[in-house]
Amino acid sequence: MTYRVEPGLHRDVAKFGGGDVTTCMNCGTCTATCPQSAETGGFPRRIIHLLQVGHREKLAGSLEPWLCYYCGDCSESCPRDANPGETMMAARRYLTGMYDWTGLGKRFYVSTWWEIGAIAAVGLFTVGLFALFHGPVVTGRVELNTFAPVKWVEIGDWIMGGVLAFLLLSNGWRMSRWVMGAGKGVDVPFSLYLRKLPAFFAHFATQKRWRECEGPKTRWLKHFLLVTGYLTMMMLVIVGLRWFQTDEIVPFYHPTRLLGYYAAAALLYVTGDFLLGRLRRKDGIHKHSEPTDWVFLVLLGLAALTGILVHAFRLLGLPLATYSTYVAHMAIVVPMLVVEVPFGKWGHMFYRPFAAYLAAVKQGAAEAASLGPSRAA
Amino acid sequence: MIGKRIGAFLCHCGGNISDYVDEEKVRAAVEKESGVAVAKTFLFACSEASQEEMIRTIREEKLDGIVIASCSPKLHLDTFRAMARRSGINRYMYTQVNVREQCSWAHRHEREEATEKAIRLVRAGVAHSRLGVPLTDLRIETTPAALVVGAGVAGMRAALALSDMGIAVYLVEQAARVGGRVPAWGKMFPNDREGAEIVDTLLQAIRRRENITLFTGAEVVEKRGSVGDFSVKVRAADGTEEIALRVGAIVVATGFDPYLPAAGEFGYGAPGVVTLPEFRELLPAAEGKLRYRDREVRNIVYIYCVGSRQAAAKENPRPNLYCSRYCCTAAVHTALLAAGVDAGVNQYHLYRDMRTYGKNEILFEEAGRKGSVFLRYPDDAPPVVERPGGELLVRVRDVLLGGEEIGIPADLVVLVTGMAPRENANLVNVLKLPVGAGGFFNEIHPKLRPVETMIDGVFISGAAQGPKTLAESVASSLAAVSKGAALLLKGYVDLSPLVAKVDTEACAWCGECGNACPYDGAVERVRQGGKEVAYVHPALCKGCGGCVPVCPAEAVGLEGYTNDQVKAMIDALVREIV
Ligand SMILES: Cc1cc2nc3c(=O)[nH]c(=O)nc-3n(C[C@H](O)[C@H](O)[C@H](O)COP(=O)(O)OP(=O)(O)OC[C@H]3O[C@@H](n4cnc5c(N)ncnc54)[C@H](O)[C@@H]3O)c2cc1C
Ligand code: SF4
Ligand code: SF4
Ligand code: SF4
Repeated sequence: MTYRVEPGLHRDVAKFGGGDVTTCMNCGTCTATCPQSAETGGFPRRIIHLLQVGHREKLAGSLEPWLCYYCGDCSESCPRDANPGETMMAARRYLTGMYDWTGLGKRFYVSTWWEIGAIAAVGLFTVGLFALFHGPVVTGRVELNTFAPVKWVEIGDWIMGGVLAFLLLSNGWRMSRWVMGAGKGVDVPFSLYLRKLPAFFAHFATQKRWRECEGPKTRWLKHFLLVTGYLTMMMLVIVGLRWFQTDEIVPFYHPTRLLGYYAAAALLYVTGDFLLGRLRRKDGIHKHSEPTDWVFLVLLGLAALTGILVHAFRLLGLPLATYSTYVAHMAIVVPMLVVEVPFGKWGHMFYRPFAAYLAAVKQGAAEAASLGPSRAA
Repeated sequence: MIGKRIGAFLCHCGGNISDYVDEEKVRAAVEKESGVAVAKTFLFACSEASQEEMIRTIREEKLDGIVIASCSPKLHLDTFRAMARRSGINRYMYTQVNVREQCSWAHRHEREEATEKAIRLVRAGVAHSRLGVPLTDLRIETTPAALVVGAGVAGMRAALALSDMGIAVYLVEQAARVGGRVPAWGKMFPNDREGAEIVDTLLQAIRRRENITLFTGAEVVEKRGSVGDFSVKVRAADGTEEIALRVGAIVVATGFDPYLPAAGEFGYGAPGVVTLPEFRELLPAAEGKLRYRDREVRNIVYIYCVGSRQAAAKENPRPNLYCSRYCCTAAVHTALLAAGVDAGVNQYHLYRDMRTYGKNEILFEEAGRKGSVFLRYPDDAPPVVERPGGELLVRVRDVLLGGEEIGIPADLVVLVTGMAPRENANLVNVLKLPVGAGGFFNEIHPKLRPVETMIDGVFISGAAQGPKTLAESVASSLAAVSKGAALLLKGYVDLSPLVAKVDTEACAWCGECGNACPYDGAVERVRQGGKEVAYVHPALCKGCGGCVPVCPAEAVGLEGYTNDQVKAMIDALVREIV
């Protein structure tokens, strides 16, 4: 069947940012330069070509955008200044929007007002919940657990976690359908999906492919700090909330405190550094910032900051300050998670390892197929 | 004649000849030939020092004629003829024998036989020189006026340039208007000047020249005479008037025809499928949005190389093999114009090779920046234009997707048609213009004599000679002007005396020579001494010798290659070597 292309697809994608797609002359210099492209072959040039041609189907089934870590080497080597790295970034945004069946993701990317509006709405909603349902306000001393009882917050946590997991998994399901459908003709046994699962977790935890990029490893390190800081925080507030949010002041070396400090420091350092980088537009990859990039970093920084403040006020024994910053903290964290995880940049944290995982599954299937039917059977 | 003293000079050509031919043996054999006064060898006969030595020898030995055994006459005939003249002997008393291409290079592994062949060839050369007689060039006074056929930009520019040099010009245009093709193109690459404006500027200038006479709606119907002195007749298209003119040179600038696809070729004929020239006529009217038959045009697909670079096929036995060279650039430029009307229009370019050579490469890059998408299609799998459900769809194999086929929906398919030779049978017949393999007028040598034709005094220029952009057309028309003016301004032309000559005693006019002669007007039937005889017009004869063997009375001979000379050469060739 001849695929009917969509003229002007690149114009659609351009709404998500990106380089100068039609300026690319398909010379392939970028692909030759890309440290990630070696084994899978073809990107970023191939992705740009799909955009030029208007091949939405192949784009939807492409894993390549997730295998790119935006080192920016390609953009520096492009003889036409077509900025392929930025196009890969735009492709990731576009794909995130495509995977998302609610259609909200696309809206948020294309319109800053939608994104800020959604964040504000969820934030206000959170504040509203506290306004309506908070517990007694003890002013004599700090009793956060009386103001916001852990068991209620925990329930809220789980509901939110469930919704987020559902959204991510259902989007991931759509993604895998497109991706695996693109490898027509190769049968993938279910067991293979199971056997390759560790790849997902390995990539999720370490982002190890990134280390293959040339140049200083500091970007990888920063991202590693970001991800581990973020994950630690998530674990503390979702799984470990009952130990984390206590009114008893645990000793300094208590694991929840140590982990909390690590996470807060890591997040503050990294967001501060990234924000400065984008403000200075020093290196190529930070030259272009879409509004979503700012929102992402600002929310993260604010979340870390308010979290630290809550902790500080509690240690200082300032009850009202503690309660109100706590509400503010929640009003930032909740929309950050609800808006950014399934629909925004935090989704990358899931899609990237998921893509690495699907790539491993595909490769496994291809290897099995090349062994011949008798052995594969 | 037996008393002639001939010098034989043998060249080693470095080692090119002497490595395979025993030159000393040749020299010794030739020295013994009767008539040979001196035989010498040279390392490089063409070198300055060797020429000086030969001149000295010619003078000291009081030679009447010389033979040089060296390379092909194509390389050094003129060199050595000039040397002969400097030494004081007639330049036609020089004979060149080619022992490089014909002996050493052809028989690398047969030294002995190569040497023997060289001896025989040089002997024949000596025989030729011994019977030679001094000849003088034929000098023709030139008429200081030129005819330019075709008033496209190439022809108009030629007329102005000739006029600049004080040469009277008759500019003959078949159509009612001047300018040729370009007024239809609107803005033209490389600098977006309007074609009509260019033509208008030229026309204003032509009108101001007193020595340019412009005929529109007119044709050249007759040509007689020869280089430097042609008589031509120009007739008004409606046949009402005929004017006789005398000119010394003729510049042909009759242009091209855009290739017209056959019905169904890439969907041509279906609504929405147009050629590039047709699309160019739609463009200037468009404002804000491109429209075709009242529908907005969102997607344009260009298919390149239509009618150019064709492969031979059963249904196309005479394919256009050439690249039309203007069309890649014109299509890319057209896309820029279209994007200028509506920046949001999607443009796909399906090409084979992108030949926006030279400065036009900038336009190619610019088109990309302005949203054009370029896809290469395989030579053996051209795109297919279809209309499933009434909407145009172009199916094409995308080389960069591993040859996978994609379908591109289109509102307009533009066939990037090449240049085809213009149908001009009458003119070809009147001027006896040589037509090349591709159907365009043929030059003598594509590199060294690009605007001269086999017909002395008739020059070709512009797109009549082959596909060209406007800049190239004008450059070639100015080249034709300089070649034409060179012979007109000198006031005379010297023609080679090596032409056929009729012995009127022996001739009884049977007409065989006239039938054999490929050059129009060279052989005439005249009355002389009370009978009809053949007369060879020395300015029109090219000395090909076609008439010589067919004459039953052996009445025609070639100056410089008389029957006696040729017979003596044959004798010398076949005589045993002792
Ligand atoms: C779609 C298209 C777009 C183009 N765009 C560009 C562009 O943007 N820039 C550019 O540089 N080039 C462009 N070109 C190329 C350009 O048109 C040619 O280079 C140019 O027209 C050649 O000029 P010419 O005078 O040799 O021939 P023509 O323009 O063909 O003129 C020949 C003239 O000779 C006359 N004639 C023919 N036969 C006779 C006869 N027997 N007797 C008397 N008169 C005769 C014709 O009537 C005509 O007036 C384009 C071509 C096409 C097809
Ligand atoms: S290096 Fe630039 S022009 Fe070349 S293929 Fe990559 S993006 Fe395109
Ligand atoms: S940004 Fe780096 S990883 Fe991404 S495509 Fe370019 S070179 Fe490859
Ligand atoms: S110039 Fe381009 S379109 Fe025209 S024949 Fe040559 S390659 Fe084909």
